[in-house]
Amino acid sequence: MLTDLYRQRALIGAFANRDFATRYRSSILGWAWSLIQPLAILVVFAAVFSLVFRIQAPDLGNGAGSSYAAFLFTGLVTWNLFAGLLNLSMTQLKSNGELLKKVQFPAWAPILGASIVQLIQVLLELAVLVVMFLWLGNVGWTWVLAIPILVGTALFAQGIGLVLSIINARFGDVQYIVAVVLSALYFLTPVLYPITMVDGQNELLSLVVKLNPMSWYVESMHEVMYSLVAPPALVIIALLVGGFLTFWAGLAVFNRGSEDIGELL
Amino acid sequence: MSDSSHDKGQQLAVDIKGVGKRFKRNVDRRNSIKERIVRGRSRKPEDFWAVRGVSLQIPKGSVYGLIGHNGSGKSTLLKMIGGIYRPTEGSITTDGRVASLIELGAGFHPEMTGRENISLNGSILGLPKKEIAAVTGEIIEFSGLEEFINDPVKHYSSGMYVRLGFSVAVHMKPDVLLIDEVLAVGDEEFQRKCFDHLYALRRSGRTIIVVSHGLGQLEGLCDEIAWLEHGQMQEFGAPTTTIASYLRKVNSQEAARYPEVTAVRAAGEEARPGDQTLRVRTAAIVDAAGSPLNHTETGSTFQFRIGFTTSEPVLGPNVRIALQHESGPLVTMIGNHRLGFDMGTVSGDNTFDVALVDNPLLPGRYRVHIDIFDFTGSRLLDSWNDALEFAVRSQSGEIGQGFVQLPAQFRLG
Repeated sequence: MLTDLYRQRALIGAFANRDFATRYRSSILGWAWSLIQPLAILVVFAAVFSLVFRIQAPDLGNGAGSSYAAFLFTGLVTWNLFAGLLNLSMTQLKSNGELLKKVQFPAWAPILGASIVQLIQVLLELAVLVVMFLWLGNVGWTWVLAIPILVGTALFAQGIGLVLSIINARFGDVQYIVAVVLSALYFLTPVLYPITMVDGQNELLSLVVKLNPMSWYVESMHEVMYSLVAPPALVIIALLVGGFLTFWAGLAVFNRGSEDIGELL
Repeated sequence: MSDSSHDKGQQLAVDIKGVGKRFKRNVDRRNSIKERIVRGRSRKPEDFWAVRGVSLQIPKGSVYGLIGHNGSGKSTLLKMIGGIYRPTEGSITTDGRVASLIELGAGFHPEMTGRENISLNGSILGLPKKEIAAVTGEIIEFSGLEEFINDPVKHYSSGMYVRLGFSVAVHMKPDVLLIDEVLAVGDEEFQRKCFDHLYALRRSGRTIIVVSHGLGQLEGLCDEIAWLEHGQMQEFGAPTTTIASYLRKVNSQEAARYPEVTAVRAAGEEARPGDQTLRVRTAAIVDAAGSPLNHTETGSTFQFRIGFTTSEPVLGPNVRIALQHESGPLVTMIGNHRLGFDMGTVSGDNTFDVALVDNPLLPGRYRVHIDIFDFTGSRLLDSWNDALEFAVRSQSGEIGQGFVQLPAQFRLG
């Protein structure tokens, strides 16, 4: 199953190329938008949540105080990776419907192609995050661990995205339901606040936040990038393997569900 | 009807065995979850077989045509061969890479340039990158779009769009090429180029399967034609015979469906030019035996039957029947005096029959105007414009050019 992905890399690449070339083609600022958007959100959220709600970020790993903006952006980058891949994947079958109805090719190719472009966007955000931490002087070897964590996040999101894309091709409601669920999940993930804030709160709420897999990915990113603390090796492995298994299962479900995709769309 | 014409040892490009495709005829099946919940799963969707029990062996290097009415299942069959639909029953084995040219330029992205789209479309159709690069120049040249190839295709005219699409598809060198209703692309010159290219593909041993309503085109292009009706194989074999039986069926069905439009007209009592000493009452086209027709076919004999009454005996009337093509031009005028035929004295209620032997009119609609003069040709007795309108259909699928088929003979040397 996974060797199919490799064999069709040229096709996935062709779709990635298409999406890359056309993403911002008719806009003047082009790819700059991929940074302006998250940065604008960062500025607004940082202002509202640190000044109005007075959320206190934990201390930076280098011991030089705390930075809510850096804390928030670490979480945002991780969340955007997850939500971006999910949303994009979910609509790909529909937006490539005309093609899938007429030519036979693996239906996951346009999805994975679109995801590659989304990953480039995330890399740009990540670069900004790195610059931010360099400027704050918050650097550590634990940054290396961000790689398996982010790869795990991407695989996890892609696995779910593949399944959702099939369901969405069948029931158009799914994308609206997912939009609602995602925005709820956003607040149930410690992106805007440190996870310590839910301790001692409503038990159910605290439980939901802690059971939410996205909390694990985001929290691990906070640890390795912001607090410069290495989580136990087992956690990193679990995140990576969990992501991989989700992807693998998602692809298997997708392959089963997309057999009649030409009729479904 | 039999497959004995195929040499058993011949290599097959596509082997279709007892294939059927069932669709669920539940229109809002996928539209929303709410519908599912409200109506539940209990309501059994109606099954509908788009194709059933079709077996067909398509030899390598042949051009195979599929004909039939809209909804006869030919496009469904094509999509199954192309792997877009899975057969519900039966099996389809294809030898080699199949490329469908089901809709030209289906994979084009409007924001990308022609050149970028060539590469994208090539990848989708399954050609390796290297080979795409190798044929790109050829594709651009074939499409004749050198000047515009680096412009986004959203600025292309629809003609340019399909030209590029066709060029890409035919250069993908598939072993089996599937074509659905896309033969009529571009101008005359480009069409000719397309056909030349299709013939070249066939010569190089590739198999082409075409679905089309252009029977004339198919007759010239195909080695064999299969006719599907309500998802079932009706007949297959040599193009001319299959097309002829298909058209016979279409024509007779049409006659049965529209009995009321039988081309018979009865004139009312309206005022018409002429002194009306002879007045035409009815006009019809009838077959050789005298039964009314609603249309006729090129090459088959039919008659105009004109009923009239006279108020006094008329000596040697001069009957002129003008045939006008639906597009305006007068095709010809048939007159008994010009043909040297004298009717003698006519009186009372009677009819003229004017036979058109081996009808030379090509397919189309024709309007009939009837003028009757006295024997001198100077006094108008009656003039009935638009007395009748009738259709000429094709027997062979050949439409032909112009209005008439002259009884020409060719001889070599």
